[in-house]
Amino acid sequence: MIYIDDVSKIYKTKFNEVKALDNVNLKINDGEFIVIRGASGSGKTTLLLTIGGMLRPTKGKIIIGDNDIYTMRIRERANLRAKNIGFVFQMFHLVPYLNVIENVLLPSKAGLNELTKEDAMELIRRLHLLGREHHKPSELSAGEKQRTAIARALLNQPKIILADEPTGNLDPDNAGDVIGYLSEFHKNGGTVVVVTHGVIADQYADRIINLKNGHIG
Amino acid sequence: MLILIIKEMIHRKLSFLLSLLAIITAVTLFISFFTAGQASKRETVKLMLTMGFNLRIIPKQTDMDKFWLTGFSDYTMPENYIDVLANTRNISYNHITAILHKKISWSNKDIILTGLSPEVIRSDRQNPMAFLISPGSVYVGFEIAKNMEIKKGDVINILGKSFMVERCLAESGSDDDIRIYGNLNEIQRVLNMKGKINEIKALECLCLLKPGEKPVDVLRAQVEKLIPEGKVILIQSLAETRQKQRAMADKYFSLILPIVLVVCAVWICLLAIINVRDRKQEIGIMRAIGYGSGKIAVLFLGKAILIGFIGSAIGFAVGTGIAMKFGPEIFKITANTIKPSYILLLWSILSAPLFSAISSFIPTMLAITQDPADTLKEG
Repeated sequence: MIYIDDVSKIYKTKFNEVKALDNVNLKINDGEFIVIRGASGSGKTTLLLTIGGMLRPTKGKIIIGDNDIYTMRIRERANLRAKNIGFVFQMFHLVPYLNVIENVLLPSKAGLNELTKEDAMELIRRLHLLGREHHKPSELSAGEKQRTAIARALLNQPKIILADEPTGNLDPDNAGDVIGYLSEFHKNGGTVVVVTHGVIADQYADRIINLKNGHIG
Repeated sequence: MLILIIKEMIHRKLSFLLSLLAIITAVTLFISFFTAGQASKRETVKLMLTMGFNLRIIPKQTDMDKFWLTGFSDYTMPENYIDVLANTRNISYNHITAILHKKISWSNKDIILTGLSPEVIRSDRQNPMAFLISPGSVYVGFEIAKNMEIKKGDVINILGKSFMVERCLAESGSDDDIRIYGNLNEIQRVLNMKGKINEIKALECLCLLKPGEKPVDVLRAQVEKLIPEGKVILIQSLAETRQKQRAMADKYFSLILPIVLVVCAVWICLLAIINVRDRKQEIGIMRAIGYGSGKIAVLFLGKAILIGFIGSAIGFAVGTGIAMKFGPEIFKITANTIKPSYILLLWSILSAPLFSAISSFIPTMLAITQDPADTLKEG
C-alpha cells in the first residue's frame, strides 16, 4: 500500500514560492491501477516523483508498505526503489550509448538483484523488441524506446510502476500498446500509478484522480 | 561498471580525446624532462655533468700580466698539442683551434698577425666557429683595412710573402680590428716559427665528473695533465653565460611545469563538468532505478582514472621518444645514458590517474549532488 499523508511541496525561487502540491492525501492499494490526471503544471509529476522517493516533500509523509520513505537514509531509499519501484517517463530516459539489452539490464548494475541477460531477453520478447536488442536508442522508434523503458522498469519485478506521461510522445497505436503492457503488469498483481493529461489509460484504471493546482479534486 | 565507462567514452569520443590529450600533455612534459635529466644522475660510477666550457690553453711560462696587456703569450708550445687534446677521451669538446699570434710592424704600423689552424670539430653536425682561411689568403681587420685602404681582392705583402685579401672584417671594437688572420702554416712560415703555436682555443668542452667536483677544476687538471707545458684559462664570461642560460632554463621549467599542470587540471575539470551536464538525464534515471552516490561517483572517477591510465602510457611513450630524440642534443656527455626509465613509467601510471581523478573531483561531486528530480521533471 502507498499512503500519501498530507503532502505539500513548495518550490521556492528568488522571487516567489510555488505550491506544487497542497495537502494531498491519497491511499493507493496494492494491485491498484490509478490514473492521476491534470493539466500541465497541476503537480502530477511532482506527486509521482514524491511517491517514488525522488523528491522530498516540504510537508507530509509518503509511506510505502511499512516504510516512511523520507525518514530513510538516501541509500536505503535508493535500495527501496531498486527493489520495489519501476519508473517509466515520457522522454524514455534511455542511456544513449547502451543498446536495448544493456539499457534493460541497467537496473542489474545497481547491484541489488540477481538479474541475468536471460531475464532481459524474456522481457524483450514479451515487449516485441526481438531483433532490436543490439540497437542503440538513436536507432529505435519512439514506441520501441518506450517499450525498452518499460522492459527496464519491469526487470527488477517491482511491486509498483510509476509512469509519467508514458504515452505523451507516442502515436495512438504505440500508446495503446504501452498502456496494454502496464495493464498486463497490473493484472499480474502490480500497482500502477500513471500520471497523464490524456484519457487513453482511463479504460484500465481502477480509479481516476484529478489534480488541479496541487489539490486533489 | 567498467563496460559502462568504456562505452560512454566511445560514445563521447571528442570529450574523451580532449581529456586524454590533457593527460598526455602533462605526462609527456614530465617524462621528457625527467628522462633526459635523469641521464646525468643515473650513472653512479661515472657521474657526468653536462657543462660546456670555453678554454684558452697557453704556454705555462707565460707572464700573465703581459698576457692580459697584449692578449697573447710571448712563449710558444708545439703545434701537435692540439692532436693530444683532440684524441683524449676524458674531455669532450666541439671545436679546437691552434693559434699563433705575433705582434709585427707592417707598413710602419704595429699589427697582430694571427695564424689559425683549421678547426678540429668532433661532431659532423657542428659548424666551424672560427675562420677557415685557405692558403694564400688573409682576412684583414677593420682598422688596418680602413687606414690602408685595403679592399677585398687586393694582394698585400706580409714579411716577404704575397697574400690575397679574401675578406675585410667588420668593426669589432676589439684588438681584432688591428689583426690580420692567415692560415696557421703560412703564418708560421713567414714568422719563421714552424710547428709553433702560442694558444689553443677549445670551445664547448665537457668533462667527466665525480660527485662534488667542480667542472672548471677538473677540466683544468685534466688539460694540464695532458699538456704539461700548458696553462688553462677559462673564458669566464662565456662560461657564466652558459651557466646562467642553464639556470634560466631550469627556472623556466620550474615555472612552466606548474602552469601546465594547472592548465591541464582546469581543462580536465571543465571537460568533466560538461560531461556531467551532458549526462544529467542519465544520472537522473540511474538514481531513479536505485544507483547510489557511490556508483555514480565510480562512473565519473572511474572514467577519470581510466583516462589517466591510458594517458600515462601514451604520455610515457611520447615523452620518452622526445627525450631520446632531443636529449642527446642537450646532454652531450650523457647522450648514451638517455633511455626509457621504467621507474618513471611506474610513477606516471600511479600519478596520472590520481591527477586525473583529483581534477575530476569537483565535477563528480556535482554529479552526486545533482537533484535527479530536476532532470526527470524536465523530461
